[in-house]
Amino acid sequence: MNGWMGKIIKVDLSTGKQETVEVDDKIRRKYLGGRGLGVKLYTELCSPQIEPLSPQNALIFLTGPLTAVMPTSGRFQVISRSPLTNTICDSSSGGIFGAELKKTGIDGFIITGKAEKPVYLNITDDGIEIKDATHLWGLNTHQTKEVLLKETTSGASIASIGPAGENQVIFSAIMNDKDRAAGRGGMGAIMGSKNLKAIVTIGTKKIPVADPEGLKELLLKIDRLIDKNPVTGKSLQLLGTSVLVNVINAHGMYPTENFQRGVFNDAEGTSGEKIAEILLHKRSACFKCSIACGRSTKTADKEGEGPEYETVWAFGAQLGINDLTKITEANYACNELGLDTITTGSTIGCAMELYEKGAFPHELKWGDADILEILVEAIAYKRGIGAELALGSKRLAEKYGRPELAMQVKGLEIPAYDPRGVQGQALSYATSNRGGCHMRAYMIATEILGSPVFMDRYSIKGKPEIVALLQDISAVVDSMVLCRFLQFSISISTFTEMLNVVTGLDFSDEELLEVGKRIYTLEREFNSKAGFSRKDDILPSRFLEEELEEGSSRNRVVQLYEMLDRYYEIRGWDKNGVPTKETLNKLGI
Amino acid sequence: MENLNLNKIAKMIDHTELKSNSGQKKILNLCNEAKMFGFVSVCINPHYVKFAYEQLKNSDVLVCSVIGFPLGMNTSRLKALESEQAVTDGAKEIDMVINVGAMRDKKYDFIKDDIKQVVEVSSPSHVKVILETCYLTDDEIVKACQIAVEAGAHFVKTSTGFGAFGAFPHHVKLMRETVGQHIGVKAAGGISNFKDAIRLINAGANRLGTSAGVMILEGAKLFKFAPKAWLEPEIPCHICPSRHASISKLPKAVYTYYKKKCFNCEYRDKYNKFYE
Repeated sequence: MNGWMGKIIKVDLSTGKQETVEVDDKIRRKYLGGRGLGVKLYTELCSPQIEPLSPQNALIFLTGPLTAVMPTSGRFQVISRSPLTNTICDSSSGGIFGAELKKTGIDGFIITGKAEKPVYLNITDDGIEIKDATHLWGLNTHQTKEVLLKETTSGASIASIGPAGENQVIFSAIMNDKDRAAGRGGMGAIMGSKNLKAIVTIGTKKIPVADPEGLKELLLKIDRLIDKNPVTGKSLQLLGTSVLVNVINAHGMYPTENFQRGVFNDAEGTSGEKIAEILLHKRSACFKCSIACGRSTKTADKEGEGPEYETVWAFGAQLGINDLTKITEANYACNELGLDTITTGSTIGCAMELYEKGAFPHELKWGDADILEILVEAIAYKRGIGAELALGSKRLAEKYGRPELAMQVKGLEIPAYDPRGVQGQALSYATSNRGGCHMRAYMIATEILGSPVFMDRYSIKGKPEIVALLQDISAVVDSMVLCRFLQFSISISTFTEMLNVVTGLDFSDEELLEVGKRIYTLEREFNSKAGFSRKDDILPSRFLEEELEEGSSRNRVVQLYEMLDRYYEIRGWDKNGVPTKETLNKLGI
Repeated sequence: MENLNLNKIAKMIDHTELKSNSGQKKILNLCNEAKMFGFVSVCINPHYVKFAYEQLKNSDVLVCSVIGFPLGMNTSRLKALESEQAVTDGAKEIDMVINVGAMRDKKYDFIKDDIKQVVEVSSPSHVKVILETCYLTDDEIVKACQIAVEAGAHFVKTSTGFGAFGAFPHHVKLMRETVGQHIGVKAAGGISNFKDAIRLINAGANRLGTSAGVMILEGAKLFKFAPKAWLEPEIPCHICPSRHASISKLPKAVYTYYKKKCFNCEYRDKYNKFYE
């Protein structure tokens, strides 16, 4: 077998038992690895009614067939049912963890049960050891890494939770390689619920490749493709993802003060250009990545990584805050405590608007940068007001009687692109299987950045087709498991070539896209059985009824319903957004 | 259009690198990319012709040199000398810029002679005549095309990529209608994706000058999965030269010409609200 290591280990933390999970070659071909195979295995292990934070829930860590071979392939995917959204969820992270894990000789592992006391896993070429982590409980992610590197192997990759995960904050992250995050959906809380503090991994095994000569040639081509694309070859390298701050603000769709406005007057002061000017220490890269979008930064008192675009927005414009240092330090705090920055910032924004409208008892004011770090810490430990904010925006706004003020889809907070300025991205948010996520189909690429072509961002024509197409491709990339930034420079045919040269199989573009469609539909099927349907493919009423008053996205609302029926039709789902039997059969689900 | 022939598109692309700050490594990459992706030529400044020729002599990729670039204001003698040198160094195609000022002054004999001198010294290499359409009215574009044909040029070309704006389907269509089917029409400037490329090919271009060829071909691989959706027509203003006419970049008369067209446009009332 080439590409895959052919071994997935299931670890029951309640009993300490380990077993090998058999995966048929046909299943591998149908779901690849990472997100796809994870969703497949998860739906066989867990019912859609499972309580996400119960010992019965499974938490799956998987690499993919291209892990540790191709550019950007140090990533891994974590799959489970989200405690934040109750949907099926996968969360992805970069760094080197995925590559090290695969080099131990396994494609991934599945965690079930709950350890009696805190434990960590030590994964090497010799297998998986369950070790006591009592002494680590309470440490932040950076401290955990330091202690574990001394205790285990220097150079190992470490993924851990911080206090937020231990306290089962439902949007806590799994942090790896210091500041990389499997951030969305609360996967850290699931680790915490199982008393699993960390995973240490380092391996030495070679990844089997079917056509090493073909691989060399293909890598030259990929290098050219990455270099020639202005996004991957220049913008992301020089300014990181925050290059988008000024771009999106100029398009009048930079969400400000909980999406009440689309233009942030202080955007320039929190832009990628400004980060490069005053904070950037050096660029940082994940495994085998020439893009190196990571930002190692320093403030006067602290150093760390970030902020990237979504974070600079979540703690900046979303809260009316223009203090880049405070934004950055709040980001550092989230990394150390183990919190998803998007949900953290957006929930604070929701609370600020609740307060502004007289619906929230705690004083929280727009632009107050001094409270940022205090709030982040309070959330991680569920202390005082933090216990309220730790609910996430949906539950918080519902609790205080103003559900419409939570800027979320299916419970997951919408990131930094106001959907009123981008109709396709709006549809992508609404139909995302894991909730308000920009990464399921990154329509900003085509609607704003013109990649692969410019589509009229105000128009709904052709958008359902392209959203579905990009969702499928994204599912494939998440399953191979590669960085999604490659999608700027690399198209489906090259992904097919990459898969074939490594595995020796004979995928066509069409078969690969069908894999994506299958994964997306299986996720939807799981969600349907968990009670999700058309009623959940909806955006907050603000985007459907209230027009922005200034900027170039003004005077528009999202034409969601005009797109939704066509989208379901393309997907082969019924009018309620549920996959039909015929579609399930056709896709071999 | 359900299917795109990517090889055919590659064979229409002059893979271009003309920036004044481009070093030799960029040209080396350009040549390697041209071989890797099957482009018809590399389009470069004269300084690099010899170097590029050495990289490409065992391939079917041609070397194309720009001449009198980008302003077209060199003397005719110098343009001819520059062309002669480029051909000696290995250029099989010559992209010369006309003297736009003289064209606007209606010095047609001078323009014809300017082109003719280059054509004569470059033979058998082909000559493309860059009109810099952004600075001309439609009537002037038609006239310039006629002169280029009379002077023996093999192609007419829209733009240098350094002018006020690049290639638009409107200009390409006009040029194709003027020169007929026996002369080439090259669109250049601002071609950044396969939708741009398809629009210009449909308007009559049979050669495209772009530095985005790699991205165009790679992106086009997605085309077959949603051809209609990718090519959904945009607001017509987005691809109209009048919309892109800038008061700071165009001569007064040309700016006024374009804005007058815009003012009288049939789409004005319908799409004016979308202006940003």
